[in-house]
Amino acid sequence: MRQIVLALTLAIVVVFASPGGAQTSYFAGKTIEIIVPTAVGGPSDILNRSFAPFLEKHIVGNPTVRIRNIPGGGTVLGSNWFAANAKSDGLTLLASPVGSKIAYVIENPAVRYDFRKFRLVAVSGGGAVFYTSPRTGLRQATDIAKTSGLIMGSPSPPGNVVTALLALELLGANPRVVFGFEGVGPARLAFERGELNLDFQATIVYASQVLPLVREGKAVPLMTLGYINEQGEIVRDPAVPDLPTVYEVYQQIHGRKPDGLLRWKAYRATVAAAWVYGRGLWVQEGTPPEILKPLHEAIDRMNRDREFQEQAKKLLEGYALIRGDRVEQHVHRGLRVTLDVTKFIRNLMLEKYGQTI
Amino acid sequence: MLDAALTALAIFADPARLALLLAGVLAGLVVGILPGMGGIVAVSLVLPYIYRLDAIAAAAVLTGALAVVHTSDTITSVLIGAPGSAASATSVIEGHQLAKQGQAARALSAAFLSSLIGGLIGALGLTLSIPIARPLVLALGAPELFMLTALGVSFAGSLLGKETRKGLLAGLVGLLLGMIGPSPAAAQVRFDFGRLYLMDGVPLVVVALGIFGIAEVIGLLSRGGAIAQRVELGRGWMQGIRDVWQHRWLVLRGALIGVWAGILPALGATAGTWMAYGHVVATSKDRSRFGKGDIRGIIAPEAANNAVAAGDLIPTLLFWVPGSASAALLVGSLLRYGILPGPRIMTEHLDLIYVIIWSYAIANVVGAGICFAISPGLAKVTHVPFVRIAAPVLITIALGAYQTTQDMGDLLALFLMGLLGWVMSRTGWPRAPLLIGFVLAGPMERYFVQTTGIYNQGEWIYRPGVLIIGAVLVAPFVWGLVSWVRRRREARAETAPAGQRSAIDLVFSAVMFAVFAGALVQIQRFVPGARLMPLVIAVPGVVLAAFQLFRSWQGRSLAGDEGPPAAGELRSGLMGFLALGGFFLLIWVAGFHVAAVALMLLFSLALARMRFVPAIVYTAAIVAALTGMGMLLSIHWPVGILRGAP
Repeated sequence: MRQIVLALTLAIVVVFASPGGAQTSYFAGKTIEIIVPTAVGGPSDILNRSFAPFLEKHIVGNPTVRIRNIPGGGTVLGSNWFAANAKSDGLTLLASPVGSKIAYVIENPAVRYDFRKFRLVAVSGGGAVFYTSPRTGLRQATDIAKTSGLIMGSPSPPGNVVTALLALELLGANPRVVFGFEGVGPARLAFERGELNLDFQATIVYASQVLPLVREGKAVPLMTLGYINEQGEIVRDPAVPDLPTVYEVYQQIHGRKPDGLLRWKAYRATVAAAWVYGRGLWVQEGTPPEILKPLHEAIDRMNRDREFQEQAKKLLEGYALIRGDRVEQHVHRGLRVTLDVTKFIRNLMLEKYGQTI
Repeated sequence: MLDAALTALAIFADPARLALLLAGVLAGLVVGILPGMGGIVAVSLVLPYIYRLDAIAAAAVLTGALAVVHTSDTITSVLIGAPGSAASATSVIEGHQLAKQGQAARALSAAFLSSLIGGLIGALGLTLSIPIARPLVLALGAPELFMLTALGVSFAGSLLGKETRKGLLAGLVGLLLGMIGPSPAAAQVRFDFGRLYLMDGVPLVVVALGIFGIAEVIGLLSRGGAIAQRVELGRGWMQGIRDVWQHRWLVLRGALIGVWAGILPALGATAGTWMAYGHVVATSKDRSRFGKGDIRGIIAPEAANNAVAAGDLIPTLLFWVPGSASAALLVGSLLRYGILPGPRIMTEHLDLIYVIIWSYAIANVVGAGICFAISPGLAKVTHVPFVRIAAPVLITIALGAYQTTQDMGDLLALFLMGLLGWVMSRTGWPRAPLLIGFVLAGPMERYFVQTTGIYNQGEWIYRPGVLIIGAVLVAPFVWGLVSWVRRRREARAETAPAGQRSAIDLVFSAVMFAVFAGALVQIQRFVPGARLMPLVIAVPGVVLAAFQLFRSWQGRSLAGDEGPPAAGELRSGLMGFLALGGFFLLIWVAGFHVAAVALMLLFSLALARMRFVPAIVYTAAIVAALTGMGMLLSIHWPVGILRGAP
């Protein structure tokens, strides 16, 4: 009898003494809510929903991770809500899609959030590709300024299109731009129909929807936005390494680098803020390091998880999911856009395209 | 192809997979029943649970959920008059009227059967169109798409009711409402009056729930009694089935309109359903019963909205251009398996496509079966004195509306839309054109902007597609004009004797005039690129509204089909809105649960005159049930400012 009691006591002691991280860690038993400021089904939404189970698995304590959509105002409503309501306890995260960065960068008056105050948990980005129809006669990007009759379509600014228009401005191109498309998808359809002959798509879309057209001879790829590596240099887009970047094309046209030009500064600013570091996951300002640490470590573990790697390859098209602490400075700096750049973007939109943003 | 189809079907012989499909169907059915929540809620509800499944199983569950939402959404539309989803509002107009006449069973059975057949035709359409979908979608350019939306708006013209003037105005108001928010062509937010809530426009669900749901509920409350004023005659269920057989070609046409509306990216379930409804009315010789309970007004739209969900999958799967939010989410969830939409999906994942098609078909059959089974019980609700169930209904509608943006603006908009819908229904203003205008405003302007941007002036008018659609569009108007002229010659048009002024009608006409005049003022502040369409709508609106005001002053404005509203009914209606406003205010201050309990107690004790203990028990049961359901569906509760909400 005594032996049984001893055995039981030992067992109980062992159980309670074992390094059960789940019993002592901060996130155990808690629920993390990721605010996605877009409607359900958008690319940002899908991405975060796919990440959620991996976050659950790899954050020490295995919290439940839920997505909450707060659409409206072009990502502004949800981001504003986060800024006003999220506590600094690491339990509410904000997923920031591209649009929220652009709104922030151009100082949209409705914006009541400040990315430079938030702390970065993880960031991933992507690039985009310009391509044209064979009917335009344009075969390489360096000739883009000389080609007439180019017509591009997009949703009305501000949004992803701002970067495309800045790129075209940098290279001296003057296509006709038709706003009024619901999204980049319908614009791509119009390209396939032959109504538009110049288009610009995110690389993941380019790879699956446009490459087949390229192979059939119905589309001619031109250039990519370019990617920024951890040293801050412009390099080729890792998903489409065979295409030149806007930066390279400029050099080929003018024989010198565009650094220093206001047009270049404006373009690079939006590429950094909205594309390369386009998709961020943030926590509220003031979140203490003890809470950030398990979040950052989870990102590392996710990146080592074979199943996640498979998915990331498909969802992120070869771009990395980067730990926030490694690039937070870069990202914050990228978002600190100078007044002259903001003014330049606004003036360009107004004068060239009649759009007040 | 047949090979792949049969292989896919064989998958469902595995009970585990079948069970998964059924789980999706159940989720979809439950969500469909709840007012205001549509396919997207169903899909996002199921989503967190599919991560351990393989692609085929995941696709089956998701498809099951989104396929049946438009079957069960008819239930609340018919029984209570609150649209289960925005697309189901047509069933409120006809089905709820039938329920009031004691024919709820007939309406429901016709609806379910039409939904079933529509869904099957949708699945068939999906199968047949796969080989030809790419050229099909690409064949329609911006001009053709513009003409199609214009056609849709013109269908609203056939829903104008007795007073053409009021119907047109209703349509114009709807178009104006649809313009709140970002303008497609220019970076300008229109009619938002600086409010962040309006920056993206008023959500469709809130408009539908308000104009039809709240309006119906208050109307029922003020009328008193139970929903059904007559005891059901005969076996309604069989009658409904016979109706569907009798109008079988309508089912087919409705379904085809639905599939097409789905294939075209800009038109969704709501637009497709209303176009089917408009088509039925436009092509019917005897239109006298429309709006009063015409079974054809259920059959065609219900077939359409089950087919639309299938059609929506086509651009989503084949082009990665979302046909609807739920299709986008479904396809997006498949990304993690490496399944990318686009031309390759047909060659690389044909098996999956067939699983989706079969899931869609089976889900529709099972869903309709379950709905048939549970509805006799549910239909009994129409015989209960409405005051007893009004509070839970209002609470559920409010909760459904709040989910759209999770902002008190949702409730404020719901209140205003409800007031608008109620006044309209009491003063003979048809609501259908308003909703059509609202839904089609955006696409119409968008396609117009694209057309004029891409094509040179005039060159697009001569395209064969444009000419054909234009002919279809103009034909009913020409014919209508001819027969109107003929009718005028035969009999003087009906007008109420001069001098019978109705105060509420006068006030409302004045408000309408003020709205259009105000819109004209606002338009001056827009950038040029954003002005065209609002002007095209506001200018005739102001003119018509002035004329309407004049007629109303003269007392020659016909009051609703149900006759001028009785003073007592008006008073109770306004009291109802007062209570509703109080409810929303209480939600804002003290949060959802406190307000719900308060409303339940108010209704149970004061209005339904229940005794104290049963009232408490009832309140507790309802609030507990809602809370449980809410937790299951991850619903967001308004937290009152007393508890620290923004």
